[in-house]
Formats: sequence, structure tokens, C-alpha cells
Amino acid sequence: MSNLRKSLSSMSASLVAILAGLVAGFVILLFSNPANAGKGLLTILIGGWNNGMKGVGQVLYYATPIIMTGLAVGFAFKTGMFNIGATGQLMVGGFVSIYVGVTWTFLPGAFHWIVALLMGMLAGMAWGMIVGVFKALLNVHEVITSIMLNYIALYGINYLVKNSNLFDSLRNQTVNVAATAVIPKAGLDKIFYITKGRLNDVSSVNAGILIAIALAILMYILLNKTTFGFELKACGYNRHASRYAGISENRAIITSMAIAGGLSGIAGALMYLAPASGLHIHMEEVLAAQGFTGIAVALLGMSNPIGIIFSGLFIAHITVGGFYLQSLKYMKEIIEVIIGLIIYFSAFSLLVRDLIAKAGKRRAKKGNQPSKQEAVS
Amino acid sequence: MDAVYFLVQQMMFFSIPLLIVALGGMFSERSGVVNIALEGIMVSGAFTSILLISNLQSGMSGQLLLLIAIVVAIVTGALFSLLHAYAAISLRSDQTISGTALNMIAPASAIYLARMIQPNGVQQVQFTNTFRIEKVPLLGDIPVLGRLLFQNAYITTYIGLLIFVIAAFVLYRTRFGLRLRACGEHPQAADSVGINVYRIRYAGVLISGALAGLGGLVYVIPTSTNFNATVSGYGFLALAVLIFGQWKPLRILGAAFFFGLMKTISSAYSGIPFLRDLGIPSDIYKMVPFIATLIALAFTSKRSQAPRASGVPYDKGLR
Amino acid sequence: MSDYIIEMLNITKDFPGIRANDNITLQLRRGEIHALLGENGAGKSTLMSILFGLYQAEEGEIRKDGKPVQVRDPNDANALGIGMVHQHFKLVHNFTVLENIVLGVETTQHGMLRMEEARQKVMALSQQYGLLIKPDALIEDITVGMQQRVEILKMLYRDNEILIFDEPTAVLTPQEIDELMRIMRSLAAEGKSILFITHKLAEIMAVADRCTVLRKGKYIGTVDVKSSSPQELAEMMVGRKVDFKIDKEPAQPGESALRVRGLSVEGSHGDKKAVNNVSFDVHKGEIVCIAGIDGNGQSELVYAITGLLPSTGEIKLNDAAIDHQPIRKRNTAGLAHIPEDRHKHGLVLDYDLQQNLSLKRYKTEEMQRRGLIRFDKVRAYAEELIDRFDIRSGQGPVTSARSMSGGNQQKAIIAREIDINPEVLIAVQPTRGLDVGAMLYIHEQLVRVRDEGKAILLISLELDEVFQLADRILVIYEGEIVAELDPKQTTPQELGLYMSGSKRQEVHA
Repeated sequence: MSNLRKSLSSMSASLVAILAGLVAGFVILLFSNPANAGKGLLTILIGGWNNGMKGVGQVLYYATPIIMTGLAVGFAFKTGMFNIGATGQLMVGGFVSIYVGVTWTFLPGAFHWIVALLMGMLAGMAWGMIVGVFKALLNVHEVITSIMLNYIALYGINYLVKNSNLFDSLRNQTVNVAATAVIPKAGLDKIFYITKGRLNDVSSVNAGILIAIALAILMYILLNKTTFGFELKACGYNRHASRYAGISENRAIITSMAIAGGLSGIAGALMYLAPASGLHIHMEEVLAAQGFTGIAVALLGMSNPIGIIFSGLFIAHITVGGFYLQSLKYMKEIIEVIIGLIIYFSAFSLLVRDLIAKAGKRRAKKGNQPSKQEAVS
Repeated sequence: MDAVYFLVQQMMFFSIPLLIVALGGMFSERSGVVNIALEGIMVSGAFTSILLISNLQSGMSGQLLLLIAIVVAIVTGALFSLLHAYAAISLRSDQTISGTALNMIAPASAIYLARMIQPNGVQQVQFTNTFRIEKVPLLGDIPVLGRLLFQNAYITTYIGLLIFVIAAFVLYRTRFGLRLRACGEHPQAADSVGINVYRIRYAGVLISGALAGLGGLVYVIPTSTNFNATVSGYGFLALAVLIFGQWKPLRILGAAFFFGLMKTISSAYSGIPFLRDLGIPSDIYKMVPFIATLIALAFTSKRSQAPRASGVPYDKGLR
Repeated sequence: MSDYIIEMLNITKDFPGIRANDNITLQLRRGEIHALLGENGAGKSTLMSILFGLYQAEEGEIRKDGKPVQVRDPNDANALGIGMVHQHFKLVHNFTVLENIVLGVETTQHGMLRMEEARQKVMALSQQYGLLIKPDALIEDITVGMQQRVEILKMLYRDNEILIFDEPTAVLTPQEIDELMRIMRSLAAEGKSILFITHKLAEIMAVADRCTVLRKGKYIGTVDVKSSSPQELAEMMVGRKVDFKIDKEPAQPGESALRVRGLSVEGSHGDKKAVNNVSFDVHKGEIVCIAGIDGNGQSELVYAITGLLPSTGEIKLNDAAIDHQPIRKRNTAGLAHIPEDRHKHGLVLDYDLQQNLSLKRYKTEEMQRRGLIRFDKVRAYAEELIDRFDIRSGQGPVTSARSMSGGNQQKAIIAREIDINPEVLIAVQPTRGLDVGAMLYIHEQLVRVRDEGKAILLISLELDEVFQLADRILVIYEGEIVAELDPKQTTPQELGLYMSGSKRQEVHA
């Protein structure tokens, strides 16, 4: 099968998985509260539209960090590694960007948020690089290193925040970043809002989504059109052949994890530098969920950066839809169950691909009658 | 000296669940199936068993209730892991996929079901801890050892250690263990001598599910009075213990105790005058187990070797 | 009682896209040694795997002693007394010899392993048939020859009556091959019936009673070996008259292209070196062949020269030292490498054909501009190589490498390496798994490269190939060069003595 044919059938497998997950979700809704099941499913499918343009804006807003972490996980997958540390990289990136956002007020307006974003990226890169170095030079499995670093980030950040001017002790979270460090709305607030009486109820969406999409496209080009991407993928597919071809395996592992970490770091920065959304780092002992949602986004998007844009948007879409289930007496946790089921059903992709391939062959056979083989003697 | 007894008793609460779950993970990976869903399975086992305790505790209490809960936790974990087994073994899919899926489904379902089933839609499942053993008769009076192991304990500690002994024995001294290991190293060889690789791998995954489910319960009981749909990353820590323990039971025991000790120090240090006086903030202590593990791994991983066929779906048709 | 102990009647077996066995009939007499001959890909292994229960045939019937039987898995085969020694040993690397022998038929008590009985039986069998083994050694620590004996003992331990050998001699010296033939004859004398898959005519002539020939999945015929000849067998196998010789002018060696002095490579277990103080030259315009039994250091030697393994000592390519250079530098200095494991080193199976063909060229000015791949150039290059080297693939340059046949995968690798126009070409088992036609083509290519004044270092386990191609033969044994021979003045038997360490020369650098 050519590679194109393979991607097409993988995509159809993903779509089948989504369908199956939604159907299963519907069944759960039926069991919990038969009366509203239909409306419930509809609410989920409508997603952001439940609240007009503002809702759609919220979908884009929630999609932003998970597209980034999806890229972080997907990029690492392509180069042969499981980046379960996206959440730690995200937290580190978020923390550093808040730090810059609060304290580096000497930077002029336009630069402040850009620098904060870049610093967040660098922090994430460093955090990811540690995983790469441990794997390449010390032969430590990237899964453990990542898990350890997730928790070190969590507690480390809690400590650093509590002992600095970033701490809002009243609310047990970080303080607001300076206005100049906030990511500009880029005019998106003029599109994504609804009117409530005489005021505009504006969505939190901002330039972050544009940055995320742009980076996804950049990653796509990097992976598929450059010699650098060629080397990284070769390492992911077959490290022995890559060495044989002269590719430095260590360099590939380390740069790949650095890039993945950087993408996660940006995710964190985009989250916490978002305008007036009230998003702060809470001094809890919970790992940021967006890191793990990124895994689902990457799997559903088949680790393809463009696919990840769509899977990120889709997951954000039904997540936002889930918020509106409360009025129908359902808990929003059903959404996570549905996402989990969709991911589970995507495991059936091989099966679906085989079925599609068999159907294709049957159709081809009907077209040209094969010469009957000699009878079994 | 009191501090040492206190430390060891507390350490058990952290180490035993890690040990149980890591041993479960060992059976799965040694048979050739990577199981990253340990976290989710722990949650599922903890949820059903604690829900049971919460509902039955008005009429029952003590060790009998705990034993019933243990059975429920084991069964739940095994059934839940069946999903992973089916996807990874029969469908031969990427083992990360089904693992991730279970990790998402379990906590979300736990919250969803809790809020639907419990009165007032409460998310947390409360229970009363009637299982702590102040002192085991006779054994608790042994000098030193008595205070270390047989006071302020739970039967789950002893069950955990028993599981360790059984696991090591099964892995190395039984026919099942030999065949399991063969499936994880060279499934084609096992197949060629007539071993049903699929069946053995199912067994490996189900064992990991059963033990992870149990581990969830064992984790929650000593450390809190309610279950809130999470095991705080313990399933992932168990994975780390498994890798750190190089997939061998004795080393896993060591790794689990090492980590448990670090964790205990980090949460119980205020009870140890020497440490309390150092004035190190609690967050730093919390980082210690993870930093210590990283350093230990840095020095010991040069010759790390996973079971050779682990993570690779077995396809009879390929040669 | 039927004449035949085993009959496979009208067996047909399909794999996706290919009919591996097409209406094949094979009949094995009691106590005979029956050879199954065919080129690579003819369907021999598939047929035997069906007999052993690893695969199920689409059509056809298997009979034992005239009665139809079902062989659904190796357990059924074992119950029928059928055992198999596989071409790629099915041994668990970190189990002991004893554990591997009993795996699947362990003696137990309440589920617990009881090894003493098994140990006694194994040692008794080992004595009876002269199969020397160390029961408590780990498979990864023993020699390939001993591993094969373990496989044979697996069958004898299970009291198998029908023994299938799949290409057993690939890893043996001529002497060990003689030994294996002796073992087979003695097994047949004890009443065992033997099926023996091979593509080596000499062995068939030496030991088989009858021979069934397959070609491209079809049954060609069964002959009585004593009244046949290698020529007749070869013709049946290939379908036309086969000329084994290629035209080869005598070599005109020039100056040294590859100079190796005092090369050593650490072994993977313990303190024995894999390569021990090896020195030799390969000159421009000559083919030097390193002959030796698999596992005597030739793999490590090649990996050291190409940079895949660290080493000590001097390596010079055209007077430039490359011994501490990274792999890429060695490649660009003019070193090409046709690796022994085409799936591990030679190809990225998940890439397509054109990506694999440009695997060593993608960084050149021609194929990229400022880091961006020039896809048109990549494709054009691939099409050129496909044309010149006749590489067959389903969809041309965008065919997935994984879906190509072994022979064409090998052709792709060879095309890539030869087209680099290297100064030194290292070819390890370049014709393994290829049919006669492809093999001859590759031999011609190698000679052509030699005649263009390049140096070729050939590693081969096929003595025919060694004698065909080599201008000089170096024998490697336990990591050392123990002989330098002129192919025109030595014989396979003498070569075998050196390869097994029974003879040594004083070799000058």
C-alpha cells in the first residue's frame, strides 16, 4: 500500500473511532437520564455554538494549549519517543512566562509579551532537553525521566512561587501579569462575542490560537519537507539504519525532545498570559491536565501536525459543549469519558483498515473475473 | 528510635501500593505488553471497593469488610484491564493508545458515577477507616521487629509482602512463569513450541489489572478518609519503580521501599526533630523522592534491558 | 500400512498478495532423508511451516500413515511426532540451554518446575547422538553451532519421529556440515524420517535419498538422488540451464585503498575481544573476501571499519585516517557498506523507496536547498536507479520499502551503495536470500566495480560465492586473521580447516 493510501485509511479509522465514541457516550447518557439523552448528545455536538460566537471563541481558546501539547507529544512520537512529560514542560514554561510577565516590566509594550512567550518556550525546551539527555547519554527510559520531572516541576514551581513576589497568598495562586505581558486579542474579540443586554460578553480567545496554528504548520513543514525532519523521522522509525546512514542518534533525540519541550512551554505561556481570563497557577498538587489531554490530541491526530489542529479543535469543541450539560442534569465529566472512549476505539484502526482494504479488494475482484485455477485433485 | 519506628510504619503505606502495582506491571511487561494504564486501573479498583465500603460500613466493619473490598478491587481491576488486553493483544494496536484511553476513562467515570450514585451528587466517596491494626497479638510484642512491622499496620501490608513472595516464586519457579517470560523475550520461540502466546499475554495483563486494582485500594485506605477519583500519579510512579527495578521482583521491592522511604520523609519530616529543625520548606521535601530517583537512575541505567519483545504486538503471520 | 509416513497432498497456501504454495504434493517415506530443494522464495519454508502447524493451508490435506490428520498448531505437530529445527533459531536468548529444550513440555509438579528428570534425559540424549551441549549456559553466551545442537535436542527430547531441518547448514563449516550429515544418517538409521530444506546441491547429493523440487510456489518434481545430478537438480530448481560461472578477468591490484592495522573491538560478554589485533590491506582493483563461520568477529570487524562500533587501532582510507571519524565522515570519505542485516541497518522500512535510495545523499547540494528537501531531485534520482538496477516495486519510487520483496530490497541497497561511487565498498552477505538470477547480477556488478579500480571487501558465508569472487581470501577465526589464501590454489576443505581453527598460518600484515 502506498503511504497516501495508508494515511487516508488511518483518517477514516479515526473518524470511525469518533463516531463510535459518541455513540457510546450517548448510551451512557441514556442510562443516566433517559429523558434528556437526545438533547444531551446534541448539546455535545453543538459544542461552542451553544453560546453563539462567544462559545465558538471559547472553543478556540481551550484548543490553544492542547493543540500545543498535542504537537509536543506528536512531534516526540514521530521521532520515536513518548513525551509523557508534556505537562511538566508546560508548567515550567507557564511559570517562567508569568515571572517575566510580572517582573520584567521594564520591557516596552509590544515586546513584553513576546519575550515572556519566548522565555516560556526556552524554559520548556530546557525541561524537555533533560529528558533527551538522560535518554541519549545515560540510557534512562524517557517515560520515567518525564514522570519524575513532572513532579519536580510541580513542587518546584509551588515552592518558587510561594517564596517570591509572584504569590497572591489570599487566593493561593499567582498574581496577575502586567498588562503589557498579556497576549493581544488581535481583533478576535471583535468577532467572538455575544451581546448580553447592552454589554458585549467577549470570549477569552486571543492571538494564541493563531500562534498555535502557525506553529502547527511550521512543525508540519519541519517534519516533512526538511532534511532535519527526514533525519528525526528516520531515527524514530529505525535507529540502527539512521546510525548507519551517518545520522547522530544522540543529537536527534536531544533536539527532538528540546523542540517538544519548547512546544509545551509555549502551551504554558499561552495559557497563563491569556488576557484577563483569570488564569493563574494554583498552589495545588495537581499536574496540569492539558499535558495529558495533549496525548489524546496527538493520538487522535495521528501525530500529524495538521491532524493535530483538527483533533485539538474537536476535543475543545466537545469539551466546551460539555459545560452546557449541567442544565440537563449531566456532569461534564462525561466528556472526558467520551474522549477516552474515542481514543480507545482508535485502537481498532488496524481492524478498520483491514476491513476497508478487504472491501476494496472485493470490489476490484468483481471488476475483473479471475481465471479459475485448476480444480483440487 | 521512635522516629525510626514511625518512619518504617509510614513507609509501608507508601511502599506497599507501589510494590503491588509495580509487580502487576512486571507480569504484564514480562509477557510482552506495556501497560501504562496502571494509574487508571488503580482508580477503577479504588473507586468500586471504596464505594462498597462506604455503603456497607453501617452494617459491617473491620477486617472482614476490608477483605470483601479487596476482592472487589481485584475483580474490578482485572475486568477493566480486559479492555487494554483486548486492544493490545487481539487487535494488535499500539499499546500506548489503549493505555492512555483507560487512564482518561477511569477517573472521569469515577467522578461521573460518584455524582450520579451518591446522595447530593457528592464527588468524594467518604469512608470510615476501621481497618487499622493497633497491634498484632503476639507478633506485635517482639522487640524492635514488632514495633516496625506489627504495630499501626494494615493487613494489606502483609498481603502486599505475600504477593511479592508469590510473584517472585511464580515468575521463576513455575511453568507459567517460564512460559510468560518466554513470551516477553521471544514470542516466536514460544509459539513454535506450542505455547499460546495470546493466552499468556492476556493472563499477564489481567494479573497486572488485578494487582493494580488492589493497589488502588491499598493506597487510599491508610492515607485518607475519602476517595476523590485520583491516586495522585501513583500508577505512573509504579511504572517508574518497575523500570528502576529492571523488571525483577527483588529489585522492584528495593525500588518501592526506596521510593516509599523518600516519600515518607517528605511528608512526615515534621515529626522528626532533626529534620524539622533544618527548616527546609515542605515543597522541597516533596521533590526529594523524584530527584533521588532521577539521580539513582542516572547511575544505574547503562545496562538497562527491558524484556525484548515488550511493547511489540505479536502477530502470528509475520516471520 | 502406507508406504509413506507423511503425505502432504495438494497443499495451497496464500499470503496477502502472493500464493506461496500452489497445489504442492510431498510424500515422505519412513526412514528416508528427503530433501526439499528450491531457491529463496520458492515456498519450502512455508510448506514445512504448514506441516509443523505454524500456518494453516487454504486447501489440501495432510496424512500420517495414510490417515488424514489436522495440524492446527505446533502442539498437534508434536503429538504426531513432528519436530522442526528452524532456520532462524527459536531460542530465548536469556534462558539456559536446558530451559529452552524443555519449554513447552516442562515436567511439573502442581505447576512448579521439576528440572532434574529433564536434565537427565537431555544429557542422555546428548551422549547418545554425540550432541555436545552445556545445559546451564545461556543461549546468548554459546556458539551458533551449539545453538543448533540445542534445536536438534529439542526435537529428540520430544521423541519426534519426523524431523524437519530448515536450511541447517548456513552457519556451519564444511567439517561441521559433514558432522551434521553423519548425525542425520544415524537418525535415519534409527528409524527417524527426515525432511531437509536446502538450496545447496552438494549437500543433497551427499546425504539425501530423494529430493522434491519447488519453484515459485509450484511443485516441479521428485527425483531419486542417486540417479540424478547437480546439473539436473539445478535446472529443475531454476527452470533453465544454469551457468554457475561468471566471466572474471584476473585482478590488477593497485595501491592500498583500505589499510587496517592492529584493529581490536571489545566483545559484548566478558573480556574476550570480538576482533583481536587484526591487520590487512584491500587494494584498488581487487576483491578481498573474509571467510569465516558466522560469529567469529567478521560482523564486528565490519562495524568497526564503518564506525558502528568503537574500536582501537588504525584504519586508513586512501591514506586518510578514519578510525576516529564519525560515521558520516567515513561515508563521505568514500566508504560504502552493504550491511548484513538489510532490515536493521540497510533500510528504513517505513520510508518509501525513494527516501531509502537517497538515505546517504539527502544532505548533498543536489538533493536539498537550505535544509529543504528537493523532492523532484529525490524522485528523479530514484527513478534513475530503479531503471539501471532493475529494482521491482509496486508503485515505483513511492512504494513503501516494507512492501517490497527481500530481493528487491537488497537490490535497492546495492544500487544505493554502488552509485555513491565509493573508494571502498564493504559488502556483507550481499546475495543472502536472493535467487540465482539476482545473485549472478550482483556478482557481475561487484566485479565491474572492482574493474573500475575500486576496492571491495566482501564478507560471505557461502563458499561458492567466496571462490567465485575473491582475488584473495582472508580467514577469520575467533577474531583473528588466521590465514591468507589464493582461491585458485586452495580447496573448500582446506578453507574449512582454517575456518574451524584446526589450522593456522603465520599471517604477515
